[in-house]
Amino acid sequence: MERISEYLQKEACLMELKATTKEEAIRELSGHMARVGLVNDEQQFIQDLIEREKLGSTGIGHKVAIPHAPTQSVDGFVIGFARSSAGVDFAAMDGDEVNLIFAMGTNPQELSLYLQMLSQLSRLLRNETFRNELIHTAKTPEDVINLFKKFEKEG
Amino acid sequence: MPIKNIMVAVAGGAASIITAKYAIYLARVMSSKLTAVYVVNERLLQDLMRSRVVVDIEARVYEKDLEEQGKLFLERIKKAAETKKVEFESVVLRGLVHEEIIKKAQETSTCLLVMGNPREITSRKEVFSDEGELLFREAKCPVVIVKNPEEVEKLYKEIT
Repeated sequence: MERISEYLQKEACLMELKATTKEEAIRELSGHMARVGLVNDEQQFIQDLIEREKLGSTGIGHKVAIPHAPTQSVDGFVIGFARSSAGVDFAAMDGDEVNLIFAMGTNPQELSLYLQMLSQLSRLLRNETFRNELIHTAKTPEDVINLFKKFEKEG
Repeated sequence: MPIKNIMVAVAGGAASIITAKYAIYLARVMSSKLTAVYVVNERLLQDLMRSRVVVDIEARVYEKDLEEQGKLFLERIKKAAETKKVEFESVVLRGLVHEEIIKKAQETSTCLLVMGNPREITSRKEVFSDEGELLFREAKCPVVIVKNPEEVEKLYKEIT
């Protein structure tokens, strides 16, 4: 079983997002992922994530959003993380603002891996302690990765 | 007792090519028939819909894409098997990966199941949820875990 901690790079973690709306958040995190070399075509990636949002918000509740899409703008599977202290209006299902945003993209060739990663991430994020530690305790990108390792191990 | 039927479980990707090459090698040296199986993990898609990460229409597109990718991948293995003069058939299944493979293995009187190396297990939960781990543990026939890609490539090249 592949693990999020094997793919989430510390460079791809944005510890304080400035955006306050869904689209701004997607643009800001995508821009960051492009700057660190995970996304080849930033505009295409943004467009693919926004198109996916039109099917329904990826704000899955409990202050979490996972914007995601298969896209030709990346090589393989990529993941980026952003945290917003103020919260982002992501039109989440529970109506709450979102503090934790994970953007995922995959080249269509890695669809199977991408779905496994989506599943694993959503399962981990069901854990309230994990979410709270990501929101309140993690100070650095390294802390984020270490939290993933810790909670992946705990299952 | 001759090993008449070998089954190889593939998931796509580079690691699965190595697994398939070793299965082709075994089938050739043992004069066995080789069946390659790819499973569209419907349970995973259902779980993603249940957790509302994926919407219905999206899941249907993914399901179709996975099936297409599976077919293309199996076609690639078929060509490799034909090159090495191995009797070959392939099947795309849908459902829970380990259950479908085990069922098919029983239906086809598989004597030996060849699979990729399951990931290192780091939590107790993974023992009961990792499809590779479950396949390895619950298979009703002997299982070969493929390791050492360099050695596999070498063996594969040896058969003509």
